[in-house]
Amino acid sequence: MKKLCAGRGSRKRFSTVNSPIFYLAAVLLLAPVCAGAHNLSGANARFVEGLDGLAVIPYMYLGAKHMVTGYDHLLYLVGVVFFLRRLKDVVLYVSLFTLGHSITLMAGVLLEWNVNAYLIDAVIGLSVAYKAFENINGFKQVFGCALNPRVAVLIFGFFHGLGLATKLQGLSLSPDSLIFNMLSFNVGVEIGQALGLVCVVVILGRWRQHNSFPKQAFAANTALMSLGFMLTGYQLSAYWWA
Amino acid sequence: MNTKTSQIDVVQTSRRKVLFASLLAFILAAAILSVFILPAEFNRDPFGIGEALGISGLSEPTIVSVETVNKEDAVFHKDSVSFQLLPFEFVEYKYPLSKGASMLYHWTVGGTPGGKMGAVSFDFHGESHEVEGYEESYSEGEGDREAGTFIAPFEGIHGWFWANHGSEAVTVTLNTAGFFTESLEFRDGFVKTQVMK
Repeated sequence: MKKLCAGRGSRKRFSTVNSPIFYLAAVLLLAPVCAGAHNLSGANARFVEGLDGLAVIPYMYLGAKHMVTGYDHLLYLVGVVFFLRRLKDVVLYVSLFTLGHSITLMAGVLLEWNVNAYLIDAVIGLSVAYKAFENINGFKQVFGCALNPRVAVLIFGFFHGLGLATKLQGLSLSPDSLIFNMLSFNVGVEIGQALGLVCVVVILGRWRQHNSFPKQAFAANTALMSLGFMLTGYQLSAYWWA
Repeated sequence: MNTKTSQIDVVQTSRRKVLFASLLAFILAAAILSVFILPAEFNRDPFGIGEALGISGLSEPTIVSVETVNKEDAVFHKDSVSFQLLPFEFVEYKYPLSKGASMLYHWTVGGTPGGKMGAVSFDFHGESHEVEGYEESYSEGEGDREAGTFIAPFEGIHGWFWANHGSEAVTVTLNTAGFFTESLEFRDGFVKTQVMK
């Protein structure tokens, strides 16, 4: 049996597409590949600002675009689903995340909370580092106790939602049809999240079948934690100097 | 169900490994931030490495002369006009401008002698020469002054509509300088064209 596995492994190692390094690279690079569009960009912003009233599709598109190109949200989701083998768990965790961010997205916009976009994005960066640290069992090893990961994903969902709210508020929305435009944005966010998740889950699923997955998983989560710190540093720098 | 918290498998780790990994992650992040991201994105170069790599100020806006200078064939003209508007009177004053031609402007509302300062309704807008019936509003509202620069987004006539909705007479004074050669005044159903000297 062991021999069989090794044989299977060594055969696969010669194929570039099936190489474990490919999965490591794919998962870590998937999100940042489409980097640079994290804030709703100038032309898009001007377009929606010129719209009066109901604009379901434009806002839906912007929500989806923000999610697909928003590598901070995607990196967090990579961390969340990293060790979820069963679809049931993926659905549970992602639902909690969705619940969390939808609540604060809507509350933030409707109650006109003025949260600093850079500071909230810094917290979102920390959420990536937190999840990666949780994935390498850091809380139990270092502090001897850990917050329930389901509670953590809900709480960080709240922060991600605040970040989404600041992006939508940055568009200086016209008050008419605000609720429907916001809901359209929210639906778009979920569509974008689903698209990103499918890619992440498929790649992780294939990667998991490799024997070297546990070892690489540790390295990947260390890298993920580092990216989280980087995002935090980037956003704090933007807060101070931009 | 609630006892099986580890529906998530976590990798087998030790305290030492976790601390080492976290430290590594943090140092890596700090290094990439200070060597690449801070110099390139925020023009901050704590160790001078960004300068050496030539990425300092990568995202600073560059000076593009093509964008900042827009040459014109003719000289610009200055114009200064005043309109007295009785209650419920209105006037429209416009300049033909080609696409990309610019203009500096400011207008203020003064009261008539002895009267109070009043606000007017205004609409700074343009009508296209290229597309029949196309109009665009640049700035509209209620106010007693506005100043700014204007670059015509299309070939057409561009200017102001002022209406006095108050109960006192007011005087609107407009000062402009720009690449126009004539002005059009629309008042009481007549159009008065004046060629700039």
